[in-house]
Amino acid sequence: MAIVTPGKRPAKRFEASRILGGKMRRGRRSTNAELNVVPMVDMMTMLVIFLLQQFSATGEVLYMQKDIRLPDARHGQLIEPAPTVAISADQVVVTGQKVADVADLDRDAGYLDIPALEERLREERKKWDFIHQNDPTRKWDGLVTIQADQKVPFRIVKRVMYSCGVAGYFNLNFAALDVGSGAAAGQ
Amino acid sequence: MGGGAMPEQGGGHGKKRKALDATINVVPAIDLLSCCISFLLFTAVWTQISRLQVQQLGSGAPQDAALQEAQKSLAITLAVGERGLLLVVGDATFEIPSLGRSPEGAVSQDLKSLAGRLKSVKGEHPDQVSIVVSAEDTVPYGDLVHVIDACLAAGLLQVSVTGV
Repeated sequence: MAIVTPGKRPAKRFEASRILGGKMRRGRRSTNAELNVVPMVDMMTMLVIFLLQQFSATGEVLYMQKDIRLPDARHGQLIEPAPTVAISADQVVVTGQKVADVADLDRDAGYLDIPALEERLREERKKWDFIHQNDPTRKWDGLVTIQADQKVPFRIVKRVMYSCGVAGYFNLNFAALDVGSGAAAGQ
Repeated sequence: MGGGAMPEQGGGHGKKRKALDATINVVPAIDLLSCCISFLLFTAVWTQISRLQVQQLGSGAPQDAALQEAQKSLAITLAVGERGLLLVVGDATFEIPSLGRSPEGAVSQDLKSLAGRLKSVKGEHPDQVSIVVSAEDTVPYGDLVHVIDACLAAGLLQVSVTGV
């Protein structure tokens, strides 16, 4: 990793030549500079160790949304891929598609079901059935993840839960921010 | 640059000796580490999201026979409301009042007392794994998650959620 100053670099026998009158002679100090890369290697090793600790083999299953603040939990399990129902203060979204407004749900509080949500979840189930049609060992697990803002009242969550049950999704998962070591340890 | 020098040795009069300084080429190591860092940065997950698995009570979902037997043996119900928490274990009832309201108007539940009470219940009934959490309509999702988390911490892993 030597760094050499630009310019003429004659052979050593020319440098000592009297004929050339020392024109080619350089200073006595070596112009080759050694770059010490040991601290850089140390830093990179530390970075790799830190990033390996952060590494998650499952990837980012659930994306954080700016209008949803999740509550904390210490004893959660590792999150699994499943259809996600996101409930913010304004709307209910299933895997990126809006199905209802929270204000509308509050207005017709006499009903429990949300037809648009049920329809969307049935479509998701059809997709699941199609994907696993040649896999008889895989049984329907009815897994759905509910990702709600921490201030959303239970009357909205209850309606979402009911609609999930009607659509065949009985296995509910409440998403929360992991502040313990449970999810990291893969419990 | 990762060089290792050997101590000077005596003897060897008149012989032309090879240089004893050895240099390790760390350039491949830097290349490898750079690739590793790039890959890990691209695939890093910065927010750790976990899930709390619950069952929906009375939804017609297929339940395990063992779970149904456990629920028949001892019914533990935890009601969550604005006034606080009400834990019903068989015939016994324990009331845990709320700690009041925060400046924003949200009710703050006494989760420490709940954790202690659930731990003592679990100590009395070590085989018990199921609990029914019944929440009022006004209970925020955050409080519900905290209560479920307290149940899981006490070892009551089969949590069913229902409305009042």
